[in-house]
Amino acid sequence: MNINVLYRPGMAMAKVELQHGEAIRAEAGAMIGMSTSLNMQTGMTGGLGGGLKRMFGGESFFQNTYTAHNGPGEVLLAHSLPGDIEVMEIPQSGLFIQSTSYIASHPAVNVATEVGGFKNWFGGEGLFVLRATASGPGQSVVFGAFGGIQMLPCDGSLLIDNGHLVAWDTTLTHSLVKSGSGFISSFLSGEGLAFRFQGRGRIWIQTRNPKEFGQSIASRLPPV
Amino acid sequence: MQFEIRQKPDFALARIQFDAPGEQLLVEASAMVAHDGGLAMETQMQGGLLGAAKRKLLGGESVFQNTFTATAPGQSLWVAPGADGDMEQVILNGGYDVMLQSGAFIASVPSVSLDTQWAGAKGFFSGNGLFLLRASGHGPLFFGTYGGIHAVDVGPNGYICDTGHIIGFTSGLQYNVRKLGGLKNLFLSGEGLVAEFRGQGRLWISTRNATGLAAFLQPFRPRKSN
Repeated sequence: MNINVLYRPGMAMAKVELQHGEAIRAEAGAMIGMSTSLNMQTGMTGGLGGGLKRMFGGESFFQNTYTAHNGPGEVLLAHSLPGDIEVMEIPQSGLFIQSTSYIASHPAVNVATEVGGFKNWFGGEGLFVLRATASGPGQSVVFGAFGGIQMLPCDGSLLIDNGHLVAWDTTLTHSLVKSGSGFISSFLSGEGLAFRFQGRGRIWIQTRNPKEFGQSIASRLPPV
Repeated sequence: MQFEIRQKPDFALARIQFDAPGEQLLVEASAMVAHDGGLAMETQMQGGLLGAAKRKLLGGESVFQNTFTATAPGQSLWVAPGADGDMEQVILNGGYDVMLQSGAFIASVPSVSLDTQWAGAKGFFSGNGLFLLRASGHGPLFFGTYGGIHAVDVGPNGYICDTGHIIGFTSGLQYNVRKLGGLKNLFLSGEGLVAEFRGQGRLWISTRNATGLAAFLQPFRPRKSN
């Protein structure tokens, strides 16, 4: 499997080249084009429980697996907002991904929807986060962002605005905090809630906040 | 006529420079960004009232288009699409036509003729309007989209494209709209309908879909207070 990201950073698209017999599992709706040699299967990864959890996590209930069953082939994957796409080899310790950023993964990658706890619920990231774990080396996950993707190394502690969080190493611990000193100041500063990461690892952020964008455009539209 | 497309793919802008007086470019009404003060501009309904009405009603293009005519060598004109996204140009040579999705047309020379073509019932099911703009003749044609433009050279094996991402294709290709996989996949896969292209030619795919952006924004709209 070979994955190339084209049209970066604003209009990024992942071109996934598969050898005969290889497959990739993708979020429903992510496919924009593909070879005729591929076969698509729709399924509930992780069974009914997995499907329900994914749905609550802001992803789709079903996922599609694209398999090159008739010689090699390719599938083109993208998300709907302007922004970049990253292909990441999953480290041995695993990777946390914000559920709405997930696009695709190697079929052997286990993507488990985890209850992120109240801290995530209040953080606006949904109640669930995805924990991606690989069964061996060379297995990747593809995630998308609104805006550019920036990797921030954490060694000690780092605060990330909740709307900018995309993915992070599971070696880090995270907790929800108010970014100001008190409730009033965090409310007035417009910063609200943030995630405090502690430990040593990498954090990927998106340079724009989707919710902020949605509100700034939609507030100018007639009410529904 | 010289041309170049800058700032691809996010905010593409085409610069067209005329070599000689009398050279012309036909530009979609809202696509002009800037032009040399010496250029003559004429607003007209291409193809007369009926042709223009057909284009507007059926193909989603403007009733009026502007024709720019060079009055001296070296004069320039800049054009761009409305949404953030990419532009592409094709130099038609009479060997094939280009079919464009409604709204994708930006500019062409007068020796390229534009006609709105019935795309058949399959167009209806594809959710992209019933009509396509058919560009034929000779010379440069410019088009644009929301998203990046990805070109696929379709060979004997064909290619499959989500119907919401098709920008255009050359006339050597035929397509059929169908569902991907079985009936279960149609409703559950989230992929809806796809177009399967066959033949020999080039297909242009957009890496984004304006409907997807609108669907993202919809839940943020304010609620009517009762």
